[in-house]
Amino acid sequence: MNVLRWIVFAIAAFAMNFPVIVTLITSFKGAREIAMNPGLLIQAPTFANYAKVLTDTSRFNIYAYLLNSTVAALIGSVLALLLTVPAAYAIVRTGAGRRHLFPLVANLRAVPLVVFAIPLYMMFQFVGLLDTRLGLGLILTIVNLPLSLMMMVNAIADMPGEIDEAARMDRAGAFVILRRIVSPLIRPAVVTAFTFGFITAWNEYLFGLMLTTREAVPVTVGASFFFSASGGGVQWGVASAVMILGALPPAVLGMLIYKQLTGSMTAGAVKG
Amino acid sequence: MTKMRSLMAAGLAAFLSATAIPGIASAEVTVLGWPGGSEETALRAAVEAYNALPDVADDDKVELLFFNRDGFYDKLQADLAAGSDAFDINLIATYSVGRYAPFMEPVDLGADAEKVFGKPILETMQFEGKQYGVPTDLSLHFMYYRKDLIDALMSDEGAKTKFAEISQKYLGEALEPKAPDEWTWNDWAVTALYFTKSVNPDSPVRYGTVLQMKNLLFNMMVFQSLPRAYGADWMDASGKVTVDSPAYRAGLELYKKLYDAGATPKDSLSYEYPETNAAWTSGQVATALQWNAAAGELMNPDTAPGVAENTAVVAPPAGPEGRKDHIHGLGLGLNKNSKHKEGAVRFLKWLASEDAVLAYAKAGGSPALSPSVVEKIAAERPDLVKLGEFAGSYGYVMNGATSANALSIYEVQAKEFTAYWAGQKSLDEALSAATTSMTDLLK
Amino acid sequence: MTPLVVFLLVFLSFPALVNIVYSLSDVTFQTMRAPEIVGLRNFGEVLIDPEFWAASWFSLRFGVLTAVIECSLGLALAIFLSPIVSRHGWTMAILMLPMMVAASMVGLMYRLVLHEFAGPLPHYLTLWFGTSPAFLDANNAFWTLVVVEVLQWTPFAFLLFHVAYISIPSEIREAAAMDRASAWKIFWRIELPMMKATIAIALGIRFIDGFRVFDNVFALTGAGAGGSTMSLSIYIYQSFFKGGQIGQAVAASALLFLASLVLLYGGALLHSRLGQRRAAA
Repeated sequence: MNVLRWIVFAIAAFAMNFPVIVTLITSFKGAREIAMNPGLLIQAPTFANYAKVLTDTSRFNIYAYLLNSTVAALIGSVLALLLTVPAAYAIVRTGAGRRHLFPLVANLRAVPLVVFAIPLYMMFQFVGLLDTRLGLGLILTIVNLPLSLMMMVNAIADMPGEIDEAARMDRAGAFVILRRIVSPLIRPAVVTAFTFGFITAWNEYLFGLMLTTREAVPVTVGASFFFSASGGGVQWGVASAVMILGALPPAVLGMLIYKQLTGSMTAGAVKG
Repeated sequence: MTKMRSLMAAGLAAFLSATAIPGIASAEVTVLGWPGGSEETALRAAVEAYNALPDVADDDKVELLFFNRDGFYDKLQADLAAGSDAFDINLIATYSVGRYAPFMEPVDLGADAEKVFGKPILETMQFEGKQYGVPTDLSLHFMYYRKDLIDALMSDEGAKTKFAEISQKYLGEALEPKAPDEWTWNDWAVTALYFTKSVNPDSPVRYGTVLQMKNLLFNMMVFQSLPRAYGADWMDASGKVTVDSPAYRAGLELYKKLYDAGATPKDSLSYEYPETNAAWTSGQVATALQWNAAAGELMNPDTAPGVAENTAVVAPPAGPEGRKDHIHGLGLGLNKNSKHKEGAVRFLKWLASEDAVLAYAKAGGSPALSPSVVEKIAAERPDLVKLGEFAGSYGYVMNGATSANALSIYEVQAKEFTAYWAGQKSLDEALSAATTSMTDLLK
Repeated sequence: MTPLVVFLLVFLSFPALVNIVYSLSDVTFQTMRAPEIVGLRNFGEVLIDPEFWAASWFSLRFGVLTAVIECSLGLALAIFLSPIVSRHGWTMAILMLPMMVAASMVGLMYRLVLHEFAGPLPHYLTLWFGTSPAFLDANNAFWTLVVVEVLQWTPFAFLLFHVAYISIPSEIREAAAMDRASAWKIFWRIELPMMKATIAIALGIRFIDGFRVFDNVFALTGAGAGGSTMSLSIYIYQSFFKGGQIGQAVAASALLFLASLVLLYGGALLHSRLGQRRAAA
């Protein structure tokens, strides 16, 4: 049975990761080999693509882009949680906002945010947030709010009510309850929401394009220096190397977080 | 836990310092250029030369800015419309002059500019009679073909019967193989069919041509030289839209005929520039109508191993109205909201001078220059001679193609024409829909 | 609660207000600062635009199909692989990898992956079977895009289900096993009902994300031949930037916002009605 599971795992992992695998392989191929050999086996592996991306910093400062993305994505994912955890608690426990606020926020995910680009641009221009990491982070917070709120409401609703009710009986303040009692219980959900939020923020493109020019350009936008859909060729090898480098931070985060997730859950199970 | 907390505090501090609002930009002239290609390399070299000039004051020095290439025009549109002053000089193109003109200021390049570029090339940067920019690069199309294959065909007497047979079957007339610089569109089409495996199993390559048929506005620029050779135009002198014409019909039908016959890769409806290059470098294609910018990649043995030596170019084939080649210019013009206009104009004027364009051309740019100027660089850049020659003899701009809605018109055509090629609409439906939308956009 | 409301008011009230004005105005990039109010004309124009309906239909089909496929696959994998995934953390990391790459870049990479000459997939298919289908021609593009989306986002559903599945207290399962309930029965009677909320959420999120799909489709096929792969997001983006018809683009978004709000409210109402009925019974 377990052999079967491993086989299924291998097939699923290979199929779902196929574009990632191709990207990885292409990033080690030279331009000549990309033209000659479409297969998955590399004949003459080269690091030239990575060397180009990592050293050509006068044109393409990948380090700055990575830093910008990290800062903006952290703001976007952490702030979204700080805003939605208390709100979700209030929605579940007191019912306030359940009728209107919750659907309104959740609904934000359905609208193409491009229509907000121009008004936000003007607003940011006015307050001086244009082309700043903080400004980008705040927008990414908006992008993350719907998913974050949905997941938090779901998690808190699943939590047995008696626990914090008891605390409330003891006249503990809402903030204390939230921090001491609710937070540990919904930690897996918070961690999952943080991961999704970070990934979403990291991979956001449109606002990164519209609201930054020089100082706060994120990696998704900066990366497309190397590939173009209109009028210019795609340097597949270099583009692949950028993609791999750009996907590395969220991938590492995903692995670290997963340990957290399993750890916290087994801990809970032992206690329970 | 305390460790965690101090870590968080440190993180927060680092965070806030990292998010501090950046300082106010220096007083230099900022130029927003077209990133990622030869235009960027050339512009960098030109700017370096300019900044090194002894009479350029410190606060007139030029600084470059490139943002990404995908979505470049959308971002530029937002910046300009919101009145950004993040750059003083920005990129414009022939097809977008009309759209960006309201946010830009005309520049007087001086009388010498005409001597350097020639009048038709300067016109690619004009809107309603005013000069909005310096034409730095010119784009047009080459017909790329495989010399080895065509030579073999020409010298093979036995191939003539087969060629005539295919010609009779698909075009209704028996044509003979011809050299590429004598091709009409029909000669080219039969040659493409002859080199298609599904039409001629003896063909040494899989496809006779590769057509860029994705629903993308740039693909319409590639396509329209075919109907243009039959006399097509967007509208006539009175402003009536003339897309529903025998010329457009002839062009659209020929593309469809080739697509249906399998003379172009079956995924062609998703093909654009890079797909075409990839198909070419695989060595399985005999001809391709593609941008001049691709010559660097397709004729370089490193990026196109095996086919580069046998790749040659000619102007697009001829029709009843002769040869036609779509041209458009990329250039640099002045942002209306610039805070540094004097310095910006000074740079633009310099860029239009002979010294500047020669430096720009030497560094890999593709300016179209008047014959007397291009002579001076002919040894280093023979391709620029060809570029100037094709542009001068065959170049055209459709009537209305510099209007404010030019980009939207290309979009409409892309949608309707691809619908016809994909078999979703009849030719009549597609053309009547295109006429309606174009009439609305060209009002 | 308050912080969230304040944040929303600060950041979205101005854009929302501007957008309400735009949706009622004749406005282009030139007249952005001085829109001319024309009433409900934009809404009328959007509603009679066949392209708007074609794009809505594409989005709806795409959203429903991908959500259902992703969630079924994700659920099946989460349960079947749960023994090995909860024991070996790295397997999870590998399965989550596809989500880490930006969808636009995945779209771009598929242009290479599926290319008849330069792509590995057609290369091996031709090598093994002598032929390879036209993945992106007008007839197959829709299904190719569905597969692309499913392969990238099944991990999302998988992760949610995995977390929900292992949170089911083991005592419940053990008790059921004691009663000699079959694995199927345990699944249908116990596990599935306990994961109901998560399944609803995953379906909802995946549907919304599929419905508003943009990045990968835009990179891979654009609007597609004759607009055949134009999602509602692409429609709105194109009329906004390429068409410069800001009023219509905003009006289309407002319609979308209202439609999904009605759907959400309707769903909530239905849910509470059912809840009441069940409570009454």
